[in-house]
Amino acid sequence: MSTATAFTDTHVVIAPMLVALVTAILTLVTRRSGRTQRALSLLGGVAYLVAVARLGLAVLPDGVLVYQLSGWPAPFGITLVADALAAFMLGLAAVVSLAILVFSLSYVDDQGQRVSYHPLYHFMLTGVSGAFLTGDVFNLFVWFEVMLMPSYVFVVFYSGRRHTAAALQYTVLNLVGSALMLVAIGGLYATTGTLNMADIARRLAAPAEFGIDSGPVLGLAAVLFVVFALKAGIVPFQFWVPPAYRAAPAPVSAFLAGVTKKVGVYAIVRLYFTVFAAGTLEAGLGLPGLSGRSFLAFFGPVLFVMALASMVVGGVGAVSRDDLDDVFAYSSIGQVGFIVLPLAVVATVADPAIRVLGLVAALVYSLNHAVAKSLLFLVSGAVFEAVGTLKIPQLGGLTSRRPVLSGSFFVGALALVGIPPLSGFFGKLLVFDTGARAHAAGASLAWLALAGALVGAVFTIAYLSRAWSRAFWGEVSPAVDRAGRPVVLVAVVAALAALVVAIGVGFDPVYGAAEAAAEAALDREGYVEAVDPARFEPTDESSAHALGRLPGVAP
Amino acid sequence: MSGGSLDREPTVIARTVTRLVVPVILVTAVALLLQGHNLPGGGFIAGVLTTTAFALIYIIYGLDYLETELLHRRPTVPFGTGTGIVREYGNVFAAGLAVAGGGGLAAVALGFPFLTQGVAFFEGVPVYHEFEIASAVVFDLGVYAVVVGALLTILAVVGAE
Repeated sequence: MSTATAFTDTHVVIAPMLVALVTAILTLVTRRSGRTQRALSLLGGVAYLVAVARLGLAVLPDGVLVYQLSGWPAPFGITLVADALAAFMLGLAAVVSLAILVFSLSYVDDQGQRVSYHPLYHFMLTGVSGAFLTGDVFNLFVWFEVMLMPSYVFVVFYSGRRHTAAALQYTVLNLVGSALMLVAIGGLYATTGTLNMADIARRLAAPAEFGIDSGPVLGLAAVLFVVFALKAGIVPFQFWVPPAYRAAPAPVSAFLAGVTKKVGVYAIVRLYFTVFAAGTLEAGLGLPGLSGRSFLAFFGPVLFVMALASMVVGGVGAVSRDDLDDVFAYSSIGQVGFIVLPLAVVATVADPAIRVLGLVAALVYSLNHAVAKSLLFLVSGAVFEAVGTLKIPQLGGLTSRRPVLSGSFFVGALALVGIPPLSGFFGKLLVFDTGARAHAAGASLAWLALAGALVGAVFTIAYLSRAWSRAFWGEVSPAVDRAGRPVVLVAVVAALAALVVAIGVGFDPVYGAAEAAAEAALDREGYVEAVDPARFEPTDESSAHALGRLPGVAP
Repeated sequence: MSGGSLDREPTVIARTVTRLVVPVILVTAVALLLQGHNLPGGGFIAGVLTTTAFALIYIIYGLDYLETELLHRRPTVPFGTGTGIVREYGNVFAAGLAVAGGGGLAAVALGFPFLTQGVAFFEGVPVYHEFEIASAVVFDLGVYAVVVGALLTILAVVGAE
């Protein structure tokens, strides 16, 4: 069998995950010597970036790379699939996580770093990488768990009253979510007979041939959707976000908002736009006036409502808060609305050009939010380190005392608002462009997308200018007057701010990557063909003969 | 912790039964560990079983027994990390992860996908006649160490509170 040789040059697929896993183990083993542990942790972060870059370069010409874990072929074993979409998300995670790691080296106290910070951080990164790479729904559940367990510890990291309360809520909620996810995945296995994503897509496309009733599959997909919405913090599943982000250390909040949320977004894009879109709605389940009879026509209106509600809830919440972390947490809820809104448009239009454009908008906005929001959370961490408080009324006049820090906040805020030439400008532009084109093409709900995006943008301007004028401008408060100088923290924050500018100025390659990712997300045939779950299907009556064609376990 | 008033001391029956039962539990755990790759059993359940043996020792002989009798050192209160026997448990946990991960990486080093397992049969071995060596045992051993390390850490820390 020629598979063995094909495997060796695709180790690049699993490399990011392995690098994170090995780093986590090494930092755990060396936890008694702080310096070695930190050096290894930093090295691991850099190696992760290199591994992701190599994967990106390999995906670029080849399209979809497939890796059969432990040599068991799809659909029997666990398949890892790296396409442009996975590579885009991994790239986002690698860049942001490295910046956050450098920040934590100086921000988190010595004891905390030695005890658990570094192993947990890299385990979280392992879970994120696995979730982006896996091509198997049950395995996706496993990686969600790997990602969540460290985050439970991180939310309770400071172990005060408030942190414990937040962690309890966060843990219980996510355990309920995990249980729901497991039930939904079990149901999918029972109804479709497979757990491999490509195989599910293939079977859903021909339900009669495989004896699948699409009604239950749609229901189970909807249950699964709730779980992903919970992870992404979309209204009405947003209530855990503010307490958890406030309780976690600033760099971890940056990671949760910047990277972990995007895993929920990725899961929605991958499962609903690549896999479940293959299913056909039963008559009467889609809203009249929406194009298409696929499952997406069912999820489109749901996505619309959730996106608009997220923008409003996040916006109103952020405008009324007096704590910088709280403002950013509510802002995260609102900004996810901007990611989901183009997805809703994509789900309800038929024109392939608009569908690609909408996904590009969602992905570019995800990237912008990942970089800009983690920048803002790191700013709040640096402000806390320097001033000792995050209460907006006690801040004030930071621009005159800490100009670089304030300037970085300004860049991050402008990026979220969407001012050219920053990364956020293109994100917003693409969101509006998607809405406008869908409207011009006659999509019935597109005007809603445009109006919603406008309202969301106004809210963003309102709460960020409020935070800016009250915490950074104005009279120098006594607390700010005594502020310290966290040099390393400010340097990291400034570097991220520079990145926000760089993404905006050199937007062309980013757009190219996002477009390739969007096309990969919509290219179901390519995805199924690459994984090839039908390889061992009995072509005629002799299923026993087909089983004989299974490759051996090992050497 | 251990000791205390006389009426709370475990009975001679409990102590004697524990002495008899703990080795049996441990041997069963090892058997489950070794057959786990193709029969019921495996690293996880063997680890849980081993932990129950230690839990029995903790309950009957007290929290300090393992340290004073087995490691011959002054017992320390297992609070936080890096103190007391929790340190050793942490090492077991880390070593288990390293073994399991390393076993997977060995396959990569040999040019196979991550976690690929192999099996070898040796014919004509005295007594056994046919003997089987499966590489999956290495992974199971890692899982076993992780489970034992993690559960005993929880047991020791929570038990001390």
